Amino acid sequence: MPLPHPPEKLPPPDLSESHFSNPRSLLISMKTVKRFRALAAAVLAMATAGPAGVQAKDVSVPFDTYPEWPAEVTDTFRQMLVQEGGRVKPVHTYARFMLMQFSGRSKVTFESKDGQSHNAEAVAWLLDTLFRPQLSADLPIFVVDDSEAVSRIGVEPKEKRDRYSYNDLLPGRSKLAELTAEYARKKQQYDDSEKNPQYELDRIEGMVLVLGQNVSNFEYLMSQFGFARKGEALTHESVLPAELKELAKRLDMTEMLDKMPEMTVNQLVQAVQAPAAPDDDQAMLKSAMQLFFFHASSGRGFSIFPPPAKETEEWMSIGDVMLTGLEKKDMRPWAIERMNEVKALVEAGTKDGATFSAALKKFADDHHAEADGRGRGEGDRSEMEVKLYQGNYFTNSLAWFVLAFVLLAVSWLAPGSAFSKYLTWGVVGCLVIGLFYNVYGITLRCLIRHRPPITNLYDTVIFITGTGVLLALILERMTRIGVGLFVGTVAGVIGMFLSIKYEAKEATDTMGQLVAVLDTNFWLATHVTIINIGYAAGILSAILGAVYLVGRISGLRKGDRDFYRVLNRMNYGVICFCLFFSLVGTVLGGIWANYSWGRFWGWDPKENGALMICLWTLVILHGRMGGYLREIGINVNAVLLGVIVTFSWWGVNNLGVGLHSYGFTDGVWKWLLISWAICGAVMFCGLPLWLRERADRQEKQNAAPSGRKKPKPGGSAAQPA
Amino acid sequence: MMRFFPLCLLAAATALTGCSKSKGPREITGVRELSADERKINIVESPAQRFRMPSEMAGGAGAAAAGGAGGGEAAAAGGGGALPFVWTTPEGWTQQPQAPMRDLSFAFGPNGEGECYLSRLPGAGGGLVANVNRWRGQMGLDPLTEAEIIALPKKPMFGLQGTFVDIAGTFSGMGGGPVRENYRMLGVIVSSDAGAVFVKLTGPAELVAANQTQFDAFCASLQPR
Amino acid sequence: MSQLTAEDFQPKNLPRLLVGLFSSYWLAMVVLIFMTLITLFGTLYQVDHGLFAAKQKYFHSWFLLHYLRDGMPLPPSLEWIGTIPLPMPGGFLLMLLLTINLSIGAIIKVRKRKKGIGMLIAHFGMIFLLVSGFVTFAFNREGYMALYEGQTGSRVESYRTWQLEILPLNEAGEADKALTIPYHDLETIREGERREFKAADLPFDIVISDYTKNAVPVPVSAPISAQATGREVGGFKLLVQKPSKEAEQNLPAVIATFRPKSGAGESVETILSARSANFDPRDGAMAFGFEIDGKRFAARMVKENWPVPFAVRLDKFIFERHPGVSMARNYESRITRIESGAERPLEIKMNEPMRYAGFTFFQESFGPANAAPGDAMYSQFAVHNNPADQWPLYSLLITTAGLMIHFGMRLFDHTSRPRRDAAAAPAGEAAAA
Repeated sequence: MPLPHPPEKLPPPDLSESHFSNPRSLLISMKTVKRFRALAAAVLAMATAGPAGVQAKDVSVPFDTYPEWPAEVTDTFRQMLVQEGGRVKPVHTYARFMLMQFSGRSKVTFESKDGQSHNAEAVAWLLDTLFRPQLSADLPIFVVDDSEAVSRIGVEPKEKRDRYSYNDLLPGRSKLAELTAEYARKKQQYDDSEKNPQYELDRIEGMVLVLGQNVSNFEYLMSQFGFARKGEALTHESVLPAELKELAKRLDMTEMLDKMPEMTVNQLVQAVQAPAAPDDDQAMLKSAMQLFFFHASSGRGFSIFPPPAKETEEWMSIGDVMLTGLEKKDMRPWAIERMNEVKALVEAGTKDGATFSAALKKFADDHHAEADGRGRGEGDRSEMEVKLYQGNYFTNSLAWFVLAFVLLAVSWLAPGSAFSKYLTWGVVGCLVIGLFYNVYGITLRCLIRHRPPITNLYDTVIFITGTGVLLALILERMTRIGVGLFVGTVAGVIGMFLSIKYEAKEATDTMGQLVAVLDTNFWLATHVTIINIGYAAGILSAILGAVYLVGRISGLRKGDRDFYRVLNRMNYGVICFCLFFSLVGTVLGGIWANYSWGRFWGWDPKENGALMICLWTLVILHGRMGGYLREIGINVNAVLLGVIVTFSWWGVNNLGVGLHSYGFTDGVWKWLLISWAICGAVMFCGLPLWLRERADRQEKQNAAPSGRKKPKPGGSAAQPA
Repeated sequence: MMRFFPLCLLAAATALTGCSKSKGPREITGVRELSADERKINIVESPAQRFRMPSEMAGGAGAAAAGGAGGGEAAAAGGGGALPFVWTTPEGWTQQPQAPMRDLSFAFGPNGEGECYLSRLPGAGGGLVANVNRWRGQMGLDPLTEAEIIALPKKPMFGLQGTFVDIAGTFSGMGGGPVRENYRMLGVIVSSDAGAVFVKLTGPAELVAANQTQFDAFCASLQPR
Repeated sequence: MSQLTAEDFQPKNLPRLLVGLFSSYWLAMVVLIFMTLITLFGTLYQVDHGLFAAKQKYFHSWFLLHYLRDGMPLPPSLEWIGTIPLPMPGGFLLMLLLTINLSIGAIIKVRKRKKGIGMLIAHFGMIFLLVSGFVTFAFNREGYMALYEGQTGSRVESYRTWQLEILPLNEAGEADKALTIPYHDLETIREGERREFKAADLPFDIVISDYTKNAVPVPVSAPISAQATGREVGGFKLLVQKPSKEAEQNLPAVIATFRPKSGAGESVETILSARSANFDPRDGAMAFGFEIDGKRFAARMVKENWPVPFAVRLDKFIFERHPGVSMARNYESRITRIESGAERPLEIKMNEPMRYAGFTFFQESFGPANAAPGDAMYSQFAVHNNPADQWPLYSLLITTAGLMIHFGMRLFDHTSRPRRDAAAAPAGEAAAA
């Protein structure tokens, strides 16, 4: 969980009543808002500190001091552009998700030997990795969920779940490479054999595989600018024979490129693999070429160089630059200039902060000028993107929702008092602010991508949460029985928490490119948005149903029939709302499918999921009209509707079939089953309630046996809804 | 959906008429005019080509070299179903019935626990390196580099120099059968653009050692027909 | 819609009873619940059996037996539950019942009054949607057309159905007509059956036997032919393959005997296999050539195909990926539509089909799968001829309008009424409905 500060440094939560004397001040005074932010953060920290508590403690590192990067260096660097996953994005985004992939979080926390705690953000970590690789190799960034995985590669384990530095893992590096290759092969066999369980990786094997891939990616980053370091800190040096290591110290790659004959990569590989000639000069040339190839292939992956040809879309890493220069003589001056720029930068990195800052500034200015000069609009909204991530809008949103929840809980301590009334206003305020952060973040994401709010599974989580909270607030405005606030806080907290967890788990860019069929803003804006509003309503309905059932069975507001009647009517309204949006969204989806694949309906899992939501809302509404479902029945079925919504929202993506399965998430089934078990338990509450109600009714009938038989519930007079 | 009803009727009608007519021939009623660009009919005399035979089915390495996909016929016609090569069965080996992927197969040893078979694949059969390393994998050994494989000793087969592999280890076979300790594998691979031929012998280490000369003789005896 | 009472269950009231039953909320509930169940089961079934099989079993059926084990992992102690067959109504039956229920209950028998107008419209929209589904199912004809750049096509090929063609040849080896035996006449041939076909203008009868849904002809010389059963014809046998999960990947084969009518001369016998069809749009289908009574003929197995009333020429196929990754960004075909000499340039891309003369052309895929960069590629269009093509859209507009009128009126009622009243009055709920 990314936090602005470690929890112990926060001011103690201040719950004195003065803050609440004027509820309006909550919304007006920015100062108050800031204090609340701190409070919200504190609450959040308490709420989300994991049982392992990895983030809470500083890991000590073996170096004496950690010179932090000056702010202007990190700010310059984060704004630079890099192409990855088919789009040009700010380095900030790249660093954030790369670190998340390694570490599960977007910061590195550690304590240097001088006792100083450090909290390096992802961009600073990437700077370390590129320009101070020896130091970066000691930073604890590789998260391992089960120490068994590190034991298996012969590294001494720490806690059950812990983070390791590259140097921690180095003793097991070759074993790790071996196992990674083996498990990758096994995984391939698993996929090829259509999921033959014989080849399925177990939990530990899966962890080792991920760790191996992460370590390898990290090595590429460390050695990215290795050619400019003259033989120092060569990451893959174990593959180099001793004489090449010696040569690496003397040979300047830039000068060498200048003198090389024109050749393609394949020719280079052939030349390197050819048997050594007896002649000394020939042998020397071969070694030099080997070294060139070594540096060029180590320098792949971090594509920050816009190609000089405007019509070429693919950006280059420094390794690509070297090979391009090798292949085409006319590209050589350009390639050598880039290499010299990198060399100057790497050299400046060994000097003081101001020198490096100036060198990076120059490098970044050239870089932006080159990118802008292409006139393709690449990265022209990257500043907004950096702002989105630096603003932490979704974390803030969660913090406010958590605070709303806390205030709501406090308000229940003294129901009906003036104090609780003020607190209720506080809850409304927190919800509104949390919602504002959510909507602001979503809006920024729309503007950055020039897309409607939802294009992938992550988007649905934040969108559905926002919609749910908004609907809950509207319900509260209409009914004023407090349930809307409760449901809103629950939906807000769970939803935002999930979104943050999901982002960290996936650890890939959440604003990635779209496959061709999704590349249509019209249908994304209509079908996708509408059906997700339907999902939000379905989930809201389930929570309302749960409140109704649990509330009645636990004797909450016992005897207050009005409360439950209003609650039930509220849920009925939400179910109608859900039907409207699911039905329109589903049919729109069919029409889209008819435009893209030529069939309105194909019984594809995602379509079926949406259909099931429509059908179940129709079951509830017709059951109610026909008198088969009364209050208890409606609410039990509303909870079941929630089960169906989560099945079609998350479950069908994990069935592994269908044209629609664009969101692959392993391990989701576990959480789905847990949530369904809870739903099942809540639905079960309906049984004693129903039995009790039936007994009551019979008693009444026995008391008045002469009366007419019970009137037809709903009755034929009522019109279908 | 409701198409079922007309369909039912239709089915019932055809069933009735079908019953009454089941002995007599059916009239061909469908006729379509061909457009100008459809008139040229692509008549293919060789069934192997017409059925798009993969070359390994159509006669393998030797035949494929003789004439592409049409080779299947040549092999079938020339040999009356026999294989397109000749060999001498070594003493003590028993020829086994043909099996998929094994054109020629022998068993040897007191209980037939040693086996030797020949198989052919079209093209390079996945490449020499991949195949040698696949074999090494079956024996629980690490893969070799291309250079190391090129440097392996050679043995004559089909008049070519085949790459010779001699591996001792734990044999796990293909498809995950039982793991057998203290096994040995001998193999020769020849490959050309036309195809690849593999001869592979496996068995308990001692038994293999006793059959090494037979193996060499068998490989040397292989000649195209 | 109405409730049923005990009095309804009298023989003399049977028509009323039936109308009552078909218009009841009870039936609506039951149908909707079963629809939800078969939708769920049909979705889970796809995990192991594929989409096509699931569609046939659950949605294009009247009744079915569902086993809980399909798509649902059960713990070993409960595995026996998965083997119990659960009889279920199929999609056809449910949709038919739903259509009847909607028509009688929500349109014919419902009391017409101002408050119910929205629902009346919405239910009508739903009936229309079901009807359009039926029309699509019954009358839509779908196939594909694949073209290389520069090629012109005017025929659509079926994905799954095949036909036999007998082509009388002239001296130049060309044919101007083809006699066709439809797939239905082939796939109904039982094991051991020899089905005879004749045509007045052919000097021979045709006997078809040994139909297999998916088979590979193998030479008897190949070791693998030991696994092939059945007759040997011209050095080949049919090796039967398991029918594929993807129905369009099945390659059927038959043995055809051409028997001279005159009785003189020898019969000609051959295997006709779908493997001879054109897998690549550049190739013509490969045919078997033979001579009877001194005349040349050809026979081949090709995909069923039908004409479109215009021609389409592919001028350019554009396939783009996002830079540096394998994800497709765009595929689009620049085509020229040619109709009685008049040419019209057009584009067909993802989400933007060409609709013309009752036919719809969708950008479906491209090939060949193993094309290297720079190789010629073909573009494949799905071609549909669906009379109900745009009906779902109309139905959506009708339903949405109905729902908006209804919920709008309800919301207006709710907000214009004092809040406490609504909550307190027990009648409020019924009135609200």
